Amino acid sequence: MSKVYIKSVGLVPVGEHWNKSLTDLMVEASLNALKNAGNVKIDRIIVGNMMSGYLNNQEHLGALLASALGMKGIDSLKVEAACGSGGMAVHEGYVSIKSGEFENVLVVGVEKMKDADTSVLTKALAMAESAEFTQVVGASFISLNALLMKMYMNRYNVQEDHLDIFPVIAHKNAVTAPHAQFKKAFTIEDVKRSPYIAEPIRLLSSAPSSDGAAAVLLSSKPADVEILASEVSTNELMLSQRENPLKFEATEKAFKKAVEKSGIDSSKVDFLEIHDAFPIVAALSLEAMGYSEEGKAAHDAAKGKYNFEGDLPILTFGGLKARGHPVGGTGVYQVAEAYMQLSGTAGKNQVQGAKVGVTQNVGGIDTTSIVHIMRKVS
Amino acid sequence: MIPIAYWRNRKLYTRLIGSRCKKCGAEYYPPVKVCKKCGSTEIEEKEMPKTGTIVSFTKLTEPPVDFKDYAPIYLAMIRLDNGILVLGQLADAESEEIKIGARVMATIRKWTEDGQSGIIYYGYKFKII
Repeated sequence: MSKVYIKSVGLVPVGEHWNKSLTDLMVEASLNALKNAGNVKIDRIIVGNMMSGYLNNQEHLGALLASALGMKGIDSLKVEAACGSGGMAVHEGYVSIKSGEFENVLVVGVEKMKDADTSVLTKALAMAESAEFTQVVGASFISLNALLMKMYMNRYNVQEDHLDIFPVIAHKNAVTAPHAQFKKAFTIEDVKRSPYIAEPIRLLSSAPSSDGAAAVLLSSKPADVEILASEVSTNELMLSQRENPLKFEATEKAFKKAVEKSGIDSSKVDFLEIHDAFPIVAALSLEAMGYSEEGKAAHDAAKGKYNFEGDLPILTFGGLKARGHPVGGTGVYQVAEAYMQLSGTAGKNQVQGAKVGVTQNVGGIDTTSIVHIMRKVS
Repeated sequence: MIPIAYWRNRKLYTRLIGSRCKKCGAEYYPPVKVCKKCGSTEIEEKEMPKTGTIVSFTKLTEPPVDFKDYAPIYLAMIRLDNGILVLGQLADAESEEIKIGARVMATIRKWTEDGQSGIIYYGYKFKII
């Protein structure tokens, strides 16, 4: 089977792009990746996106992007897995090349969120869980995470501000990240001064809504970075359907499979891009991957383990919280950031000597989890 | 809200009708077609108990658009007395009474409505007992 390499990446800075459309964002990221790749003939396009139909009145993004790039005739499609749509698009790109059917696949993740009214966006995000049993009772996606966070705090005797270390780490790393939405550091005290959206989640402990698009060009031809494993696992759709909501089973399984397939010792990972949509998601993800014991992720973070200079840097460009979270784009931004670390092009955010990186992108609350393990080709 | 989708599920929303696996006895809400424990497709309707305990709760200040007029919304995870976890709103909730471990009972309340001339959606909410 073919090996899968990342030939190039292209990013649009995450932010509020009032003068750019959904299509503009996808085209800009794609052209950046194509320019960085040099002369490569693309034979497939995969777009990761969650909400374009509901928020932007636009579906059929595969053909739309092919047409906009002057590539009509090409095989092109959209994939969706809620907030994991971007990671799933990379996974589908990986599988396309691995199968031997395609040589060069352009993967683009995009979300155009800022055009929508907040309450409309809130409804759209809740579509990650059940229309018939979650949305009908008025729950939002943030409120589900709030319920989970309070269960965790109660189970492990952890306080809200212990968990708020994760947004603080994210924002510190984003200060020097050129494509981050918020290049501003803050403290746990600052988080505590911001209002609750759904107690115990506050404005400053929640990932923002963002516009953005990222592209990665995957190839069967050797390049600077190789994807060693791309694994997906799923959990019960609804949090309330799970025997133990505090266990991220999808992440645990996807990570375990990825480690086995890659042959990489999980203690040899140099950095980790996790899905830090909320502090509770960061903590349960680190615990599911075995980097922290159950109930101990915030404690480990407070001791500096996950700082940029720590044993295992996380969110090296700010993660979802500070780089920003253009939902369907996020998983592709993560893989692009891992490429930057492993190809030595991360600038001021370079993790010195980085050889192996992991990304973890989830749709819903660990309902779908997509894990990639990548290495620097020496 | 989609009126016809609400109509299809009206029994579930007002009486908490879930399922029970005829083979292994596992119970579910929401209802299932396939038992997640034993894989059986021999499933029957089963009404859930109406009492339970608060496992977690939150006060949501920015609800989705269909519930915008009802902010803030108190949401909770309830462990029903048969062990099933259910997501629902808390009705008549004085905030100091809401705590993990508090006993609740399901009751029928208004969820939301489709404007001035649309239908009114009723369903279960939990109240402290």
